[in-house]
Amino acid sequence: MAFFLEALFGGLMAGMLYSLVALGFVLIFKASGVFNFAQGAMVLFAALAMARFAEWVPGWTGIESRFLANTIAFLLAATLMFALAWLIERLVLRHLVNQEGVTLLMATLGITYFIDGFGQTIFGSDIYKIDVGMPKDPVFLFEGVFPGGVLVNLEDVYAAIIAAFLVAGLSIFFQKTATGRALRAVADDHQAAQSIGIPLNKIWVIVWFVAGITALVAGIIWGSKLGVQFSLTTVALRALPVIILGGLTSVPGAIIGGLIIGVGEKLSEVYLGPLVGGGIEIWFAYVLALVFLLFRPQGLFGEKIIDRV
Amino acid sequence: MTKKKIGDVILDVKNISLRFGGVKALTDISFNVKEHEIRAIIGPNGAGKSSMLNCINGVYTPQEGSITFRGKTFSHMNSRQVAEMGVARTFQNLALFKGMSVIDNIMSGRNLRIKSNLFLQALRIGPAQKEEEQHREFVEHIIDFLEIQAFRKTPVGQLPYGLQKRVDLGRALAMEPQVLLLDEPMAGMNLEEKQDMCRFVLDINDEFGTTVVLIEHDMGVVMDISDRVVVLDYGKKIGDGTPDEVRNNEDVIRAYLGTSH
Repeated sequence: MAFFLEALFGGLMAGMLYSLVALGFVLIFKASGVFNFAQGAMVLFAALAMARFAEWVPGWTGIESRFLANTIAFLLAATLMFALAWLIERLVLRHLVNQEGVTLLMATLGITYFIDGFGQTIFGSDIYKIDVGMPKDPVFLFEGVFPGGVLVNLEDVYAAIIAAFLVAGLSIFFQKTATGRALRAVADDHQAAQSIGIPLNKIWVIVWFVAGITALVAGIIWGSKLGVQFSLTTVALRALPVIILGGLTSVPGAIIGGLIIGVGEKLSEVYLGPLVGGGIEIWFAYVLALVFLLFRPQGLFGEKIIDRV
Repeated sequence: MTKKKIGDVILDVKNISLRFGGVKALTDISFNVKEHEIRAIIGPNGAGKSSMLNCINGVYTPQEGSITFRGKTFSHMNSRQVAEMGVARTFQNLALFKGMSVIDNIMSGRNLRIKSNLFLQALRIGPAQKEEEQHREFVEHIIDFLEIQAFRKTPVGQLPYGLQKRVDLGRALAMEPQVLLLDEPMAGMNLEEKQDMCRFVLDINDEFGTTVVLIEHDMGVVMDISDRVVVLDYGKKIGDGTPDEVRNNEDVIRAYLGTSH
């Protein structure tokens, strides 16, 4: 039982991180109807910026405190993500108003390659580490209940709490504010949104910036666990099944989808793995996504689109 | 019907020509719209009615000509700027925010009027809360007016076509426009729905004094509700005047009924 709980917790934590990346996809899709292929690249770019700024800031300013240096690095990285959002709007999206979804998708594919290369050009392509002072010690829970207790990584717990705050904030932003409503409006119809005076350009900058911040948070958490390296972009591929499962348009869907996939991966690896010789973790998410595509293409929480013929 | 007071020219369209490559969508069109009137633009399919409306709305920029709105002339405008000047529109092929509820769709029409900042809105405190309530109240009036109370929370994508048309109208009304552009408001409706829509248009014009510019290809409806009518055919203006004048215009009859060769 303790072993099961350990696997379950491990799965939930991994799932939380998938959710964070998936959230970036959902945000941009919800708010502009664009499937943003570049989300993975943005995670890497943000993490690189964070890692390198944290390294450079003490040198530039002579600040000794790690906390202060990290804060400044975070702000710098956030500013950079804003600049990126602004540039993407100005150079790419602005020229593609009212175009087909697939055109915009291809444009984000281009953005992906650009950010991948550009990030490594200015920040370097080695493996860097991010240390934001998250405790690395494992803790043991339920020691009274199970012999030896259940091992949980404190770092994961912190990550989960941060993610929860981010999600709550975003939900309020989308559902309760006029800007959130404007974002959803833009996603549904560019032309109609403009006709009621919603500034498309500004909305796009906002949403790409929010997605950039999400990428930054995801990048910091992943980066402090695994180190900042190019393989972070492949994390984004893990987020694809998550959004298929949760539904492309649902913020809660991204979270729950992420958790299901995280837990499913871990448990199936632990319990079914030995029967088939292991390796389930690698393909589990994709097979689950495939099943969903066949039987419930809008995902668990997505909007069912019914087209009039 | 009480005789309403028709005011000065509010919208003046001068010598508009619009081409898409070699296709001449509009050639040298001029007409004006007076305050508080219902002005119809009619014509057979492909006459350039929607193109005309899209020029006024800033979706298309005509190659020649100018549009003057309340004494301000513009030749390059985008839809958002036009919206800021107080022009709202509805769409021929419904451009609603399908995933959003009726309330949210109409509330989005208040967008330009919401002033409080984002953080206050998110926390629902102070002036933001009060402002949201005021806008919501206004929207409730529109919902009552359009008789769609029962569907407040329904995602508009699930509503029947006739009701979606009303939500589209409601969203435009939420902007409290001075000029309302209606792109084929009766298209695809049955007789009863058409009558409802006519009633709404007349009431809007009557009660709020909103100037209405509407496009239709159904002559019957238009003649009953409009004050003045512009007739387009193949991108050219072939008639302009009161419904009676237009009805007896030789060119108009020919455009609609064809000629015997």
